[in-house]
Amino acid sequence: MNQPFHTSRLDRALNTIGAWVLGVLWFLPLIYAVWAAFHPQEYSARFVLLAPLTLENFAEAWAQAPFARYFLNTFLLVTLILAVQLLLCTLAAYSFARFAFRGRNLMFMLVLMQMLVMPDILIVENYRTILFLGLLDTIPAIGLPYMASGFAIFLLRQSFKTIPKELDEAARIEGANILQILWKVYVPLTKPVYVAFGLVSVSFHWNNFLWPLIVTQSVETRPLTVGLSIFFQIESPADWSLTTAASLITSAPLLIAFLIFQRQFVQSFMRAGIK
Amino acid sequence: MNEFKRVFGAAAIAALAVMGGAKGAWAQAEVEIQFYFPVAVGGKAAESLGGLVAEYAAQRPGVKVDAVYAGSYVDAMVKAITASRGGNAPQLAVLGAVNLFMLLEEDLIMPIDDLITSDAEREWLDGFYPAFMANSQAGGKTYGIPFQRSTLVMFWNKEAFKEAGLDPDRPPTTLAELVEFGKKLTKRDAAGKVTQWGMRIPSSGYQYWELQWLIGGKLPLNNADGNKTNFDDPRVIEALQYWLDLSQKHEVMASGLLDWGATPKAFFEGESAIIFTSTGNLTNVRDNAPFDFGVGFMPGVKDLGVSTGGANFYIFKGSTDEQNAAALDFVKWVSAPEQAATWTLATGYVAPRPDAWETPTLKAYAADFPPAGVSRDQLEFAVGEFMVYEQYTVQSFIDDNIEAALTGQKTPEEAMQDAQRKADRLLKKYR
Repeated sequence: MNQPFHTSRLDRALNTIGAWVLGVLWFLPLIYAVWAAFHPQEYSARFVLLAPLTLENFAEAWAQAPFARYFLNTFLLVTLILAVQLLLCTLAAYSFARFAFRGRNLMFMLVLMQMLVMPDILIVENYRTILFLGLLDTIPAIGLPYMASGFAIFLLRQSFKTIPKELDEAARIEGANILQILWKVYVPLTKPVYVAFGLVSVSFHWNNFLWPLIVTQSVETRPLTVGLSIFFQIESPADWSLTTAASLITSAPLLIAFLIFQRQFVQSFMRAGIK
Repeated sequence: MNEFKRVFGAAAIAALAVMGGAKGAWAQAEVEIQFYFPVAVGGKAAESLGGLVAEYAAQRPGVKVDAVYAGSYVDAMVKAITASRGGNAPQLAVLGAVNLFMLLEEDLIMPIDDLITSDAEREWLDGFYPAFMANSQAGGKTYGIPFQRSTLVMFWNKEAFKEAGLDPDRPPTTLAELVEFGKKLTKRDAAGKVTQWGMRIPSSGYQYWELQWLIGGKLPLNNADGNKTNFDDPRVIEALQYWLDLSQKHEVMASGLLDWGATPKAFFEGESAIIFTSTGNLTNVRDNAPFDFGVGFMPGVKDLGVSTGGANFYIFKGSTDEQNAAALDFVKWVSAPEQAATWTLATGYVAPRPDAWETPTLKAYAADFPPAGVSRDQLEFAVGEFMVYEQYTVQSFIDDNIEAALTGQKTPEEAMQDAQRKADRLLKKYR
């Protein structure tokens, strides 16, 4: 009689253990980074519980590169990209979801195709375009190739399609024009999707490296990732204490934001599951 | 629908206006050259290069050098190729010496010979250590000017030598002797666990470079045209077998993959008594080793040879004659004795010309810290680094197969035959 209960308890215990193992594995590099960053260099590979704590690594790492400027650049970059993405992709998704026009399916196919092409393949073409526009070594140049995001258009279109047509019609009867309907009906109802997409976009562009490296040439435009790369040396080995301290400095804002808004993010992702 | 079109049309026009108008035209009054540099040895190198550029600017008011940091060697290469294909090539770049064939294939760089106008300049070009020029020339022309160059050297722990009953001032000089010394230096505790390994040859990161030494750099891994490798030569297989035997048969080195970057640390924490790594680590070891250490030639180097490494200056195509002249002038200035000495002092790289070692700065440095001269003296026995077309791909074939052999997934023979087969398939089209 106890059998089913017993199995389910075992099952649950196994699940919990599995989750913990995966969680700890994921967490280990971060724990190591925190350890190495807060201890003097001699302790970066030796784990002595009472090793002296220090903030010197942070001070030294901070002094090695103009991180304040890089933070500003990265902040401007992710804000710009997200703002333009939200604007462009909302409008595009809205038209794909709710308006019938000639070539709609073909255009939507093109948008989907963009999701299949790795942006890295297009680096040379993108570079030519940026050069042609005279935007080389500017922050908009880093963001431009990513602004019309196929992923965002697809995600928002699918979400808009799930919104009952009746709500749309009710608003129309009330006298709302098409942009008002978008703003008052569609956008509020897909808020979780926006939050989820915003998180993905910000973290992707916060961490993006190759393209920013190629189009930037000065301290005034270089984002954090490119600035951080001077800590990873090739011929002489990395100083792990400094490297981890610098890595923590650059990833801290995202980590802290995630911890604070963790609940909202998780809920958003659960609600935003593509239907 | 009208409303829809109007709103979207206006938005599109506004967006284009914002993008197009963001940056105005720029004017050029003097000769301006753009110079890409990678950073391979940490933040101080970038700082010191910045100092040199500023000093040059003060001496040559008509020339503006825009030094652009371009990431690691590989990143810098990607950046330079992208910019060139996009029609915005830099005038000058410091890129890996072994990238010569890749740059030639892309048709991006100019022969220095074409820019040289006087006998004095010819003399300057001939004044570099010949070992460093090995990776600079192809088809009878010179393309690369040595800048941040290095070789492998041996570091040994003198205290460990004393404890093992060895003469701390007499390091191993042949590969056979290295095994012998290793057996004496490997220490085990009562339970049989190793507390100190005899040596460490890094096998993850730059393993082809280490292998080149074990083979004997005098047997080149590639032909002069850079379109054929000889990974399956019996002498290469034999060298890899020797490497494997150090951990499997003689048990004087830890088995498995040994990371390049963690090697100096293994040395100054006493885990390995001898290490083989770039002379670029000199300052690091000097600052961190809590014991007396020696720096010497790679064992067997006099018969075998050792390969050089590092990066060269390249002058790119697609600039005006004034820019080319300015780029050459900058390279000449940076490689002059005083500047080369400054750079060597700041980074640990080997000053690439004998005359730099005659400056009071480097004379004092070498007198005060004799290990600084080891890599330079070793140049007499040095040869060019492994260099082919499709460098990074072919390099990954040999690197992956060295790893496979050292971790026991393949025998050395299988591994090198696999690497050779793959390299042949790729390089066929360049023959």
